[in-house]
Amino acid sequence: MRCDVLEMRPEGIYCPGGDFFVDPRGSVPRAVITHAHSDHARSGHGHYLCANSCKPLLRVRLGASASIESIPYGDSIQIGDARVSFHPAGHILGSAQIRIEVKGEVWVVSGDYKPQADRTCEAFELVKCHGFISECTFGLPVYKWPEEELIHQQVNQWWKANAEDDRPSLIFAYSLGKAQRILAGLESGIGKIFAHSAVCSFLEHYKSAGVDLPSVIKLGDKEKEHFGGSMIVAPPAVEDSRWAQRIRNCRKGFASGWMSIRGARRRRNVDRGFVLSDHADWPGLLEVIKGTEAEVVKLTHGNGDVLARYLQEMGINASVLNESFYVREEES
Amino acid sequence: MKLFSQLFHDLDGLTKTNERLKRLAEYFKEADPVDSIWACWFLSGNRVKGAVKTRELREFVAVRTGYPDWVIEECYDRVGDLAETLSLLIGDNDSAQEPIHLHQAVSEHIKPLVYMDRQDRQDALSQTWNTLRSIDLLPFHKILTGGFRMGISKGNLCKALGMAGGIDPAIVAQRLAGSWTPDELSLQEILNPDETESRLCRPFPFCLAYPLQEESPGILGDPNDWQIEWKWDGIRAQLIKSEGKAMIWSRGDESIGDAFPEILEATKLLPDNVCLDGEILAWGHEGLRSFSRLQKRLGRKSPTASMLKREPVRFQAYDLLSLGGEDLRDLKMERRREKLERLISSLPNRFPVSISDVVEGNSWKDLEALREESRDRGVEGFMLKKKDSCYTPGRVKGTWYKWKIDPYLADMVVVSAQLGHGKRSNLYTDYTLAVRNEDGELVVVAKAYSGLTDKEIKEVDKIIRGSITGKFGPVRSVKPNLVFEIAFEGVQISKRHKSGVALRFPRINRWRRDKAPDQVDEVAIIKGYANDPTRQEEDGLKVDEDGNLLLF
Ligand SMILES: [Zn+2]
Ligand SMILES: [Zn+2]
Repeated sequence: MRCDVLEMRPEGIYCPGGDFFVDPRGSVPRAVITHAHSDHARSGHGHYLCANSCKPLLRVRLGASASIESIPYGDSIQIGDARVSFHPAGHILGSAQIRIEVKGEVWVVSGDYKPQADRTCEAFELVKCHGFISECTFGLPVYKWPEEELIHQQVNQWWKANAEDDRPSLIFAYSLGKAQRILAGLESGIGKIFAHSAVCSFLEHYKSAGVDLPSVIKLGDKEKEHFGGSMIVAPPAVEDSRWAQRIRNCRKGFASGWMSIRGARRRRNVDRGFVLSDHADWPGLLEVIKGTEAEVVKLTHGNGDVLARYLQEMGINASVLNESFYVREEES
Repeated sequence: MKLFSQLFHDLDGLTKTNERLKRLAEYFKEADPVDSIWACWFLSGNRVKGAVKTRELREFVAVRTGYPDWVIEECYDRVGDLAETLSLLIGDNDSAQEPIHLHQAVSEHIKPLVYMDRQDRQDALSQTWNTLRSIDLLPFHKILTGGFRMGISKGNLCKALGMAGGIDPAIVAQRLAGSWTPDELSLQEILNPDETESRLCRPFPFCLAYPLQEESPGILGDPNDWQIEWKWDGIRAQLIKSEGKAMIWSRGDESIGDAFPEILEATKLLPDNVCLDGEILAWGHEGLRSFSRLQKRLGRKSPTASMLKREPVRFQAYDLLSLGGEDLRDLKMERRREKLERLISSLPNRFPVSISDVVEGNSWKDLEALREESRDRGVEGFMLKKKDSCYTPGRVKGTWYKWKIDPYLADMVVVSAQLGHGKRSNLYTDYTLAVRNEDGELVVVAKAYSGLTDKEIKEVDKIIRGSITGKFGPVRSVKPNLVFEIAFEGVQISKRHKSGVALRFPRINRWRRDKAPDQVDEVAIIKGYANDPTRQEEDGLKVDEDGNLLLF
């Protein structure tokens, strides 16, 4: 990466002017965090800085002893030569794009983002910049998200139909962000709503941030209920566990952007895939990248080759950020 | 496309056969009969020929979406299905109109393409894309590009139609047999409750044999309770003569009599209204010939006189299902056998219709020794049929068993792989396998698709993804690494294959994690298994290991 504001180090994106890293790996003295997903917010660093509404979620992730500071969206602080501010990324509650200005040159690190509406988090804000480091998880034109409302309708219809057969509906969704988004869209009066404890640990913070969520029963390891007609939301990691196996006769759904392709749906081996993503789709990526008016675009967090070449052919100076330690997002 | 699109997406989401059948029957009940007949036709794997070439279709989509070819190629690579890729790329459509009928989609949007020049075709398709709703796009592109069956076998299609119309699926199967177009056949005809006319020359559902899993058939009790025959390597068929008309039906409910006029002719000496179950075999003056000789006769509608002379066949009967119009299937096997013997004994020797001899043996041990002769005799082992069993449709434990000789085995290494189909379209499940030649080079000898567990397939998929070295269309070459033990039934010497051999029914026996790629077998060993190394393999129709024609 050739610019004066940021450079690439083994730990990740580094700002020499302010001597801090963005979403780093390993152990560094100062980490600026875009959002509380585990592939961005890792433990082991000296001090953390994030947006205000990210802080309680980060606390859940890092534990009581971590040193976490936060500032409101839009406020800027000076760190050495760098002026740093957080701007809503629309990805999950508290997610931010990080704007870094050094000697008049502005770079934005997007973290994960989506311009699409989402009632469980702050709306995405477009930030103009000279250099933009963009995620590109869904960087192919086959990924186009349907209206969010439509997906919520589909989930509710599916739940109703299963309830009529007295069968439980088990939806797998990433425990931070996606699960709350599913919960927020559920209709009342169809049946009981359960959630895995991994999902529940974030619920109170969503509620105190003003997100309207239905009442949810926390489902531990042992309870043997009659689950017929219920909705159960759980992280994908528990799919093959005892925890999920005791929910007999359930229909399984999976909420993810990957579900827009039938092959991926079959591979998950669920009854139903719901196309609900917390990342930008292809039109979203293009709209945002063009909207920033950035002269230089670096792509990360996905297979960026196609998007990079496509942007190049449009005359945008885009390339894939070589991130050799790149770990794939848990939304897979 | 309203109901059909819904059907398509529903079937896509249902995995249980019963639920799928119910859903399909529901469609046939509520859909316009004209739409239903088209649905039957498409679900039978047909397509409107010459409507549009897939390359052209891709180019049109490129123009419409403004994406360069390479972007579309990358998308196809990710999605793995062309119709789906194009549908996703075209995507949402705000100007969509009222849903059209399936038959309208065909007659107004697909058939006219056949006679258009390129520019008109592009305009017409563009128009169509404006008309269709987004949920119609994938079903539309599927019927446009054709060859999709939604995982519905012909048997299940007939079952669903039978459920919808309240008639016997076997009759539906008979009415749907052969090739037909929706202009020639109506849903009313298929579901006509008057069964008398079609009862006469339709085949009975075949009784199938269970593979004998155990090493020894001792668990079957006294061998004298069993009728034992050689297991022939031919084509399973029913020979029917009804009201003077003769027909031969394969297990795929396909009428194949045209290919075997001498057998049809021979029925003149049979009594009327008779149904024989048996096997079509290549049979010359010297006796049984190899399956590859029979392949020369397959799929030829009217063989020439010299072909009939050069490649004679015979119908080897082993069961009598009806006689004089009387259904004998509830009689015991031994009673049916008596009647069959009496019937065939009235026919001349060296006749194209003959009987499959019973093998005698007082103990399983004797029989096991006799079974060792199978390979020399050109047969696949024994058939064991319970003497007091009725003729039951399908595979029923305890009535018929196939006691096959052990397959040949060889260790081979995977050199390339391809994504599977249907449920496995995102996993590398189709493997190309190689052994070593005299110079130690790897030569491809087989393709295998089956034999691994789901868990193993996932594991293998990961290994393959990590060792891809090149890309030729859908095929990925891989670094030789995975060694499988492959089982196969026979070997034919073949000039068309670089290795010089073609294997019959290769499948994966087990994964040899203990073997390195340089420990695979040599092609010379496999060549040695060939029955008659001088005989070349023939091109022909495909037949499965039970002699059932695989027509689709
Ligand atoms: Zn994230
Ligand atoms: Zn991420």
